[in-house]
Amino acid sequence: MWKWIQAFASPKNFYSISRKIIPWLLYPFIIITLVGLYWGLVIAPADYQQGESYRIMYVHVPAAWMSMFVYIVMAISGAIGLIWQIKLANVVAKVSAPIGASFTLLALVTGAVWGKPMWGTWWVWDARLTSELILLFLYLAYMSLNNAFDNPKTAAKASSILAIVGLVNIPIIHYSVTWWNTLHQGASVSSIEKIAQPAIHSDMLMPLILMGIAFKLLYGALMLMRARDEVLIQEQNSGWVKRIIMENGK
Amino acid sequence: MGEENYYGEWQMTLAEYFSFLPYGKYAFYIWFSYLTTFIVIASLFIRTRAIHKNTIKQLRIKYSRN
Repeated sequence: MWKWIQAFASPKNFYSISRKIIPWLLYPFIIITLVGLYWGLVIAPADYQQGESYRIMYVHVPAAWMSMFVYIVMAISGAIGLIWQIKLANVVAKVSAPIGASFTLLALVTGAVWGKPMWGTWWVWDARLTSELILLFLYLAYMSLNNAFDNPKTAAKASSILAIVGLVNIPIIHYSVTWWNTLHQGASVSSIEKIAQPAIHSDMLMPLILMGIAFKLLYGALMLMRARDEVLIQEQNSGWVKRIIMENGK
Repeated sequence: MGEENYYGEWQMTLAEYFSFLPYGKYAFYIWFSYLTTFIVIASLFIRTRAIHKNTIKQLRIKYSRN
């Protein structure tokens, strides 16, 4: 396993292997999204309290999950890059940041749009919303810091430290609805026990799980696509990069 | 239905304008969320493609100079 990881972490191997992996993430993403959307928008019944408005959940909740998931991946990759000096880990952290920031922005916007008909307001300074907004600022700070240095090693080091420190915000986001009395509703799917005995009907839960899987596949595909370009830039003085670019650029 | 404007007249809200769509009074909120999601995902793909094209172009220029 370790040998496979080491082989995959070599920029040249990563470049060729990732090209084969991307279609295996992209096509299932499209199929699962279409099934999830049909199930969530057509098959799933209206909620007895929120009516039809709860259908925003099928984009809001997966986006919010992704905002935290991508940040965790970014911080762990940053830590691996810091400790073991693996260049590919720094690449993963760097390319994940704009994707994670986009998911966070999406979670905030769709949350505001859901909040208006349910709470009567687009925004409240509630613990969940505020901590999610802080997560967006952390992503923006990470990207700014990463672009602030000319030396990629210094940039990776400084931004990884920021990502690791910012990791403290993730449990705050997750438990904010438990720790504080918030306007935001509690988690319906948050643990293995809750998945086994969910608080929502299976026809409502299944599309949510499908959309969650689809968003993860989307992240995987986008991350690999962007990481390949970053690898080309960082390894531009290597012979194999020159050969690839001059031959076909794929 | 609607809300009172500055002149004391009743007018339709933005959400009510879109109530002909599926999901009635929530149509505006639901479709706006899905449209935003589509735009964000499409933008991510377009940006990724643009980065790829630019990277290949810049490296080709660099190698053809040397």
